Amino acid sequence: MTTPSPSPSPSGAAEVGGGAAQAGASGAAAGDSGAAPQEVTITLDGREVAARPGELLIAAAERAGVYIPRFCYHPRMRQVGMCRMCLVEVKGPRGFSLQPACFQPVANGMEVRTESPAVKKAQDGVLEFLLVNHPLDCPVCDKGGECPLQDQTLTFGPGETRFVEEKRHWSKPIPVSSLVELDRERCIQCDRCTRFAKEVAGDPFITFQGRGDHTEVNTFPDRPFASYFSGNTVQICPVGALTASAYRFKARPWDLEQVESTCTTCALGCRMVVQSSSGEVVRHLGVDDEAVNHSWLCDKGRFAFEASTAPSRRTHPLLRSDARLRPVSWQVALSEVAGRLRAVLATDGPGAVGVLGGARLTNEDAYAWAKLAKAVIGTDSVDAQLDDGLPAELVAGLPPATIADACAAKVLLFLGPDPREELPVLFLRLRGAVRDHGLDLVELSPVDTSLTDLARASLRYRPGQLVDLVRQLLGSLPPANPAVAAARDRLVAGGGEGVVVALGRSSIAESEEQTVAAAGLLRRMLPGATFLPLLRRGNVRGALDAGLAPGLLPGRQRLADGGAFATAWGGLPGAPGRGARALLEAAATGQVRALFLLGADPLSDFPDRSLARRALEAVELVVSVEAHPNASSEHVDVVLPAAAPSERAGTTTNCEGRLSPVGQKVVAPGLAWPDWAIAVELAAALGADLGFASPADIVAERARLAPLFAGVTSAVLAGTVGRMGALLPLRGRGPDGELGEWPAGATGGLERLDPMAVPGIASVESQGAPSEAGVVRAAGPVVAAPVGGRMAAGDDGPAALLSWEPPEALPATPPVDAYSLRLVAARRCYDGGTAVQASPSLAALAASPALRAHPSELERLGVASGTKVAVRAAPGRLELVLEADAGVPKGVAVLGAVPPAADAPGASALVRAGDPVTEIRLETLEAG
Amino acid sequence: MGALDALKGFKVTFKQIFEPRVTSSYPDEKRPKPPRFHGRHVLNRYEDGMEKCIGCELCAGVCPADCIYVRGADNPPDHPVSPGERYGFVYEINYLRCIHCDLCVEACPTQAITESKLFEFSFTDRNDAIYTKAELVVRDDGKPQQLPWEDWREGDDLLTSGWMRATSPAGVADQEGRRHWSGELGYGSRAPERGQSGLDPAEASPSLELRKEEAAKIPVRFGGRAR
Amino acid sequence: MARFSPENLAHARLLLSLYPEPRSALLPLCHLAQAQDGWLTPEAMEQVAELVGVTPAEVLGTASFYDMLHTSPVGTYLIGVCTNLACLLAGGEELLRHAERSLGVAPGATTEDGMFTLEEVECVAACDRAPCAAVNWRYFGPLGPDAFDELVGQLRAGALAAEVPAHGVLSRVRRRRGLATTTEEVAAERRAADEERAARASAKAAEAQGSGDGGSRS
Repeated sequence: MTTPSPSPSPSGAAEVGGGAAQAGASGAAAGDSGAAPQEVTITLDGREVAARPGELLIAAAERAGVYIPRFCYHPRMRQVGMCRMCLVEVKGPRGFSLQPACFQPVANGMEVRTESPAVKKAQDGVLEFLLVNHPLDCPVCDKGGECPLQDQTLTFGPGETRFVEEKRHWSKPIPVSSLVELDRERCIQCDRCTRFAKEVAGDPFITFQGRGDHTEVNTFPDRPFASYFSGNTVQICPVGALTASAYRFKARPWDLEQVESTCTTCALGCRMVVQSSSGEVVRHLGVDDEAVNHSWLCDKGRFAFEASTAPSRRTHPLLRSDARLRPVSWQVALSEVAGRLRAVLATDGPGAVGVLGGARLTNEDAYAWAKLAKAVIGTDSVDAQLDDGLPAELVAGLPPATIADACAAKVLLFLGPDPREELPVLFLRLRGAVRDHGLDLVELSPVDTSLTDLARASLRYRPGQLVDLVRQLLGSLPPANPAVAAARDRLVAGGGEGVVVALGRSSIAESEEQTVAAAGLLRRMLPGATFLPLLRRGNVRGALDAGLAPGLLPGRQRLADGGAFATAWGGLPGAPGRGARALLEAAATGQVRALFLLGADPLSDFPDRSLARRALEAVELVVSVEAHPNASSEHVDVVLPAAAPSERAGTTTNCEGRLSPVGQKVVAPGLAWPDWAIAVELAAALGADLGFASPADIVAERARLAPLFAGVTSAVLAGTVGRMGALLPLRGRGPDGELGEWPAGATGGLERLDPMAVPGIASVESQGAPSEAGVVRAAGPVVAAPVGGRMAAGDDGPAALLSWEPPEALPATPPVDAYSLRLVAARRCYDGGTAVQASPSLAALAASPALRAHPSELERLGVASGTKVAVRAAPGRLELVLEADAGVPKGVAVLGAVPPAADAPGASALVRAGDPVTEIRLETLEAG
Repeated sequence: MGALDALKGFKVTFKQIFEPRVTSSYPDEKRPKPPRFHGRHVLNRYEDGMEKCIGCELCAGVCPADCIYVRGADNPPDHPVSPGERYGFVYEINYLRCIHCDLCVEACPTQAITESKLFEFSFTDRNDAIYTKAELVVRDDGKPQQLPWEDWREGDDLLTSGWMRATSPAGVADQEGRRHWSGELGYGSRAPERGQSGLDPAEASPSLELRKEEAAKIPVRFGGRAR
Repeated sequence: MARFSPENLAHARLLLSLYPEPRSALLPLCHLAQAQDGWLTPEAMEQVAELVGVTPAEVLGTASFYDMLHTSPVGTYLIGVCTNLACLLAGGEELLRHAERSLGVAPGATTEDGMFTLEEVECVAACDRAPCAAVNWRYFGPLGPDAFDELVGQLRAGALAAEVPAHGVLSRVRRRRGLATTTEEVAAERRAADEERAARASAKAAEAQGSGDGGSRS
């Protein structure tokens, strides 16, 4: 056990993690953590306390139950010793002297006093100084009530000031971005926000300016703090200097209620709390989870909750009559769907029904819909991905890697979309890994991405030539350049042991065959490598695990194997169904007559817009289960309003396969229902009984039937595993004999890493007084070393899960057309996606769709950057603004996949589904 | 059990017949209200007409009966409602729940909310019991609005409980002796109250000797002492 | 105007080549930009940011820390009147009051013609000449009211152009080579600079003898 005796923690923390620590650490080696598993002893206020070698005094004291006040110290950032609040007395050769506890590593035999008169005097002095220019406008300040400055002043401050002079004045508040407002009068210059911007996010657009008492935090004039992570500065600001415009004056901390949840904006699954006031969600705050998000959230995840109260929100079932969607009752809507569905089933059989989407659903919702589709309707044409992801069998069957594995990898081969755009917090994790321990990152990408500057090698390939590059990397083709050769040597050493491949589709303008073939090559040639799938959209991994994929059943079971489902579900589809592309192709030719869209928007998200349009136009019955209208809505016949995030409870699975809870905080508006309830009612309207009266019934059936979910019972979900999140399948036994995933090297227990980072209703208890109460953090087990516990299928697992057999044949490399550019289409963080467009704070941030190409291409065309040009591709012609970008190699052009305006041209208008690459030709527009 | 026993039982009754009568004929007659009387709230304004309420919700936070609902909003830059960034966008008090404890008045950082002495108001609909800013904000002359269903009497609208903040800026209300005060709501003098140590009877607030005073006003023909 | 001129851009690249980290050239480039425009314009800061590979906000953050770098417009001549102890005792306050009256601006402000910016400064380490003033970091003193007016008159007339270059120019000797220079070349360059400096010093001495005026040197 690497931890000293657990701190005298209060019941809350002990219950959550105390027992887990012992269970996890027993027998588990500390992994390859750098620190030797020993401990030092320090004397803290006359008490002998154990500490980890090299640990900072402030952290050691906190674990020992002594809260040292602080403002600038943040455990996820480097210490700076700016605020001087954490001064304590440390004994040196000349007796006790004041030292900042956040800068002092513990040493054996160190004697520390935290409550002596000298310390008290220092604290009084520091707080009196910090308040010299603080405006004390607490009643109007959003931070008032959860403010570390308020709380620590009350607990440690002098109570009075001798300062009678006029305070410093600035205009207030000023927007540093459209999401964050800055009040410089309140700032105490702790360097948390500026340090975050520079060190963590890598976007140093806010800095200290001026000197002395004129020091202010500010941006460069007219250069806003345009970072995808700006909201984190609001959360870590220890005063009310940085406030979120979305939360401004919305609520006071004592109004707030909160529930732990998981963000489902992207597939990373950041842990957070959802806070509401008066029945309305008012903010999301990041929760520190060692395994996933290290307390950070991206702005999209932080502010997209606004969408759930958008005026466009679906609140009533709608039925198309006279070419318009009109509100009807659930009864009418469901019987209409059931009636028309029965007619389709009677004439064309279940093969004529398809289900698209499901990434918006919780795992339980997805299970209910999988059962409805596969057992009641009888179709296997179900796909949670819109041909923009990876085959479900590949995702489930490759040896898995966690995010922590990726960060600790010997070599991380990153082969996927720009993580800052699609999985923003993963970018922070990778950036942190490169910064802190020099992660060997090898990036394969057709264009420059946010990782290019971080990677030890960033290798370019032309769309369609990924396999060639991978073969060079694996040594089966001669390397094209020394960089490839160098990367190859690091990669193949030791059969790929310790190599993690982050695998995703970097462009939807290419078909998946190159990516799949590359994965197959890597799997075969690097048997030791593990894979982290980078999927698009929230709970897509959970939807795949719930069987929302052709040929699969819940729990990573093949349809052909059937398993317990064949009998329990009373019949399964006879033959594997169609994936998204085949489904839409069949729909366009009339073979599929009824289509369910589970939050899917094929017109925006499917790579081939014209195919999606033809399909939606041809299908007789399009039923959309959605929370917001989208581009496809005009083709929808029946809308069934569904609950949005924070309106239903359940679980979600992130891209690494980690199960974590999503919480319900508010009730869905109008008549919107949770998706599982819609599935149950629709089954009832079809004359079938899914057997679910609540999500608990789904959990119970799933644990019984699906091997992956063995042990995931309601009790487990209500307990430690459910609250902390756990990798599936569960392995090992927890303190109560429950199945659980207890990573090697877990030190166990919840640690309040940054009490000030989770403000809110617990603030009063969690700050100020040395109290451990009010831990709202339900993070995964804290681990001293990166999670070493790599999952091997069957390793103490309940049952062997499916494995993926890579294809033998390699796809042909499409020949290069010298007159064309190859299109790269990927999503941006802020684009035309529903969540962004329905959130007022974010909608305006969506960048206009411009085609970007290398400056030489513009020269060749003879146009200036910003000129409108004609773009010709197989499906049609578009007029787009062309911009020069030196980060785009020659012969390649980049276009956003989902444009912010519904009618604006996006990449999907240029892509023909199934084409290995998309070739476009640029032409100048005729003058005039 | 003798006949006298029956009379013994009436001893108290007969004794009370000859005591001065203290029952007043409410509502024709009203007793003066004590200075600390807590009645219906008012939301005050500055002399320039700006509202004092900044929507900080401290009153709602401290309210033990949960009867106050406040929401803040950004002051419109062109027509600010209150000085500063924030104003009380919604302010509601539910008088079916309010216990008139005055904690809101003590919590208010701007003396925006104080209490008048009005307590005689009733409703025929539960919704009417929720006073909003339309009813609570004072008139242009700084006096409370007198709504049709409220029975305002002389003096009820004077010196709303602002004296309390003026005499006890630290929020400690038990200052003893005669206190002179001035504040944004005016000025005045507060007599010592009964129960304070070393109270000089001559100094005592009339309201605290209410029973005697009231008794003295009752005419002889009604059993009182007034002639 | 605000971005580097081609000549200055070339010099900026030379300065960049002197450091292993481009970031280290931040301050020299700020001085270069200030020498060009008299103050650090936002456009210049953006270009410096591009050149050293940081964000403009970081350039502003660094530049605003230093008193000698001005992020708002400054007159051609920045007159800093010292009011620290030695000058104060010798009449520095009075000199400042006189300067305010004489130039018609308060400390921190610039005259309408854009010629002079008046500043109250702390000790500039010219106590032997108290009360003194620094004009674009060249010291003058001791200055009485009359001497001050004469100094201003000479500056305005351009009589001191050789002595006091426009604000922002720190040194008229500019490095002409990068790190690829051989030691002999460096030695030769240093010799040339020494000679130039000696020539100027002797010329100055000759002039001082000629004029015999202790206050200003024309």
